[in-house]
Amino acid sequence: MNRTLVSILVCGVMLSASQALAAGIKRDPNAYLYIGWPNNGEVLRGTSIKVWFGLRNMGVAPAGVDQATAGHHHLIIDAEIPSSDEPIPNDENHLHFGKGQTETIITLPKGKHTLQLNFADKDHLQFDPPLVSKKITITVK
Amino acid sequence: MVISMRRPLLSLLILSTAFISPALAEPSPEGAKVYIVWPSNGTVIKGGKFWLRMGLTGMGIAPAGTVFPGTGHHHVIIDSELPAMDEPIPNDENHLHFGKGQTEARIELPKGKHTLQLLFGDSGHTPHTPPLFSPQITITVR
Repeated sequence: MNRTLVSILVCGVMLSASQALAAGIKRDPNAYLYIGWPNNGEVLRGTSIKVWFGLRNMGVAPAGVDQATAGHHHLIIDAEIPSSDEPIPNDENHLHFGKGQTETIITLPKGKHTLQLNFADKDHLQFDPPLVSKKITITVK
Repeated sequence: MVISMRRPLLSLLILSTAFISPALAEPSPEGAKVYIVWPSNGTVIKGGKFWLRMGLTGMGIAPAGTVFPGTGHHHVIIDSELPAMDEPIPNDENHLHFGKGQTEARIELPKGKHTLQLLFGDSGHTPHTPPLFSPQITITVR
């Protein structure tokens, strides 16, 4: 009985150790990510939309630049925040700003859309804890 | 005779041009723009503490010291005119550097009128070629 308990404990410790390894680079707990424009609930005319990326208490660096206090923006459109174990996908729902951009112009079809920012490290991996903005909904008319 | 006279003159001209041209700053692409997102010109701020939001179009941010094409980092000039465009931006209380790649900064200013202006700098803190700077705005702290 004791041995089983010990192996369960060992397994548990190993599991938490591997989770610790999978976790990303520790970031400033005061870092704050938000969409500066558009506002939640905004109704926009025309299909070209400027999005301004807000970031406090951290810096921006191009993808691949090794600096623990910096990362780069990703804009998640009409999708959920991706898993924290893998690099953020690179597709039309997950736009990467690996050149260190701090704003963009996107084109969206008419209708309701969700936008959310996800700030990630040089390898497009989540920080520990992940840094995400509030998800906003906009309407394109 | 005339030709032989011209040649030394020409090489002298080329030489002097080479000496006069300043240290090469990193280039900025056509259409790139630096601007203050907030505060806007004429804003009145109570208490004097505020977040300065720095806007950049057509380029990216990289921390100081990182050479990466099409990037640079922000500097804000407070209560001062633009410095020389062909040397590194001074680093003092009137010229704040955001070499960690920050795009927002918590600023605190005493009561009165103040001017703010952004100046984008390359990996070595020198303004790009051509230089990118925002219009100078005036704010009032009450």
